[in-house]
Amino acid sequence: MNCEMVKKNASLFLYGELSLEEEQSFQDHVEVCADCRQAFEAEKKTHGLLDRREMEPPPELLVRCRRDLAARIQAAAGRRNWLASLLDLRVAALARPAGALALVALGFFAARWTAPVPGGTRGTEAGLEPAVMRVRYLRPEASGQVQLIVDETRQRTVTGRPEDDQIRRLLLAAARESADPGLRADSMDMLTAERASSEVRPVLLYALQHDPNPGVRLRALDALKPFSGDREVRDALARVLLADDNPGVRTQAIDLLVEHKEDSTIAVLQELVQRENNGYVRLRCQRALEEMNASVGAF
Amino acid sequence: MNSEATPAVDSAAEGVNEAALIRAAQKGDQDAFEALVRAHDRGVLRLAMNLLRSHEDAYDVYQEAFLRVHKNLHSFRLDASFQTWLYRIVTNLCLDHLRKRNVRREESMVVETEDGVRDRVDAVTESRETGDPQRALLNRQLGARIQAVLGELTARERTVFQLRHYEGLRLRAIGQILGTSEEAAKTCLFRATQKMRVALGDFV
Repeated sequence: MNCEMVKKNASLFLYGELSLEEEQSFQDHVEVCADCRQAFEAEKKTHGLLDRREMEPPPELLVRCRRDLAARIQAAAGRRNWLASLLDLRVAALARPAGALALVALGFFAARWTAPVPGGTRGTEAGLEPAVMRVRYLRPEASGQVQLIVDETRQRTVTGRPEDDQIRRLLLAAARESADPGLRADSMDMLTAERASSEVRPVLLYALQHDPNPGVRLRALDALKPFSGDREVRDALARVLLADDNPGVRTQAIDLLVEHKEDSTIAVLQELVQRENNGYVRLRCQRALEEMNASVGAF
Repeated sequence: MNSEATPAVDSAAEGVNEAALIRAAQKGDQDAFEALVRAHDRGVLRLAMNLLRSHEDAYDVYQEAFLRVHKNLHSFRLDASFQTWLYRIVTNLCLDHLRKRNVRREESMVVETEDGVRDRVDAVTESRETGDPQRALLNRQLGARIQAVLGELTARERTVFQLRHYEGLRLRAIGQILGTSEEAAKTCLFRATQKMRVALGDFV
């Protein structure tokens, strides 16, 4: 490539749009030509400036788009089973009076508590037609009857205190199963007061170890702080320390684990310090070992 | 992370098996359609917003694009790229919007602020800026400059630049989206980046 070609192809090189041969020729020229090297550096800086202007859609606009699209498709098709899970239920959660009442838009989760009704039919609310219904399975019976397995979704608003049985069950389900990480985190916050209960603690432990969103895992970790001495919690923290891909979660797990000095903690920290890639987490780990008068290596 | 714990919608959004999702959605599975929407809608909205510089127009394009996808998904062929198909719909809608937009509407894209006239979209997105006020000012000046150059690009140059630089699409796919050749897309991109380079010279 000559100087003119290099200048023409500089942005295409940065976008990875040149062929391998062209790339090689481009690099060969830039290595030996000071003017082109300088021009290429300027091109890279321009790219960097443009990167800084990348805009993400405001979350509230995305929520409105999804909500209205769901409503329009549902309206167009007559019946659709995806409205509730597309709705940003967090909007409803944000509308609650602070700390007093939980306002939960009930939709997708409702079908999980359909109780059998004597007589062989199922329903969540006698007298209420489901907003959405889908037949999953059908089996004719010898008696002439037919057995159907039906997914039902209906929306309603439920208001109550987080400690109320029904609200707690809904919050537990939302914390565990909502597709929206914001809703999972908000639900977890509402459940914090009940964290000692045998229903809530497993949900927090599960979220700490398995939730795909690091913000939610941190929220679960925060809620479990008072139980950092419990064996089950400590085991979960040790697993998180060695398996979580988020340095923030690992750091907080270290802080919580070292509150109770145990030999098993030392072993976990020694293991971590050997494999940790993040400099800050490794340093925090080393300090924790020093505070526990333990060596950095196991041998 | 344990993949079993990942909600179905999330894993679908990561594009684990888009073909399976499309097949299911074509058979009427609304969960699958929802997953397809979630996998692509952030990019769609970002593209529309960046091309149209208007939240409301971007909202309209989002709605119309996915309604068209929903209506026509049955005719989509699985050997084609879903993203290319979707973005072709989105860019056509955006280009229609740009063609229809009148001068008064263009003027409504800017708002008066303490720092002078700013793009309406920037005024919202940069409200999250914190920290160093000097840096924030520089960012706003840079933003205004980029905005000015984007305004000078032709609709096609702007679309190609947006799709390549911010959406990361290959020029070959961009050519397909715009119904043109890879070479023509390359030329558009070259012109756009050349204008950017000249306009941003004193920031470099």
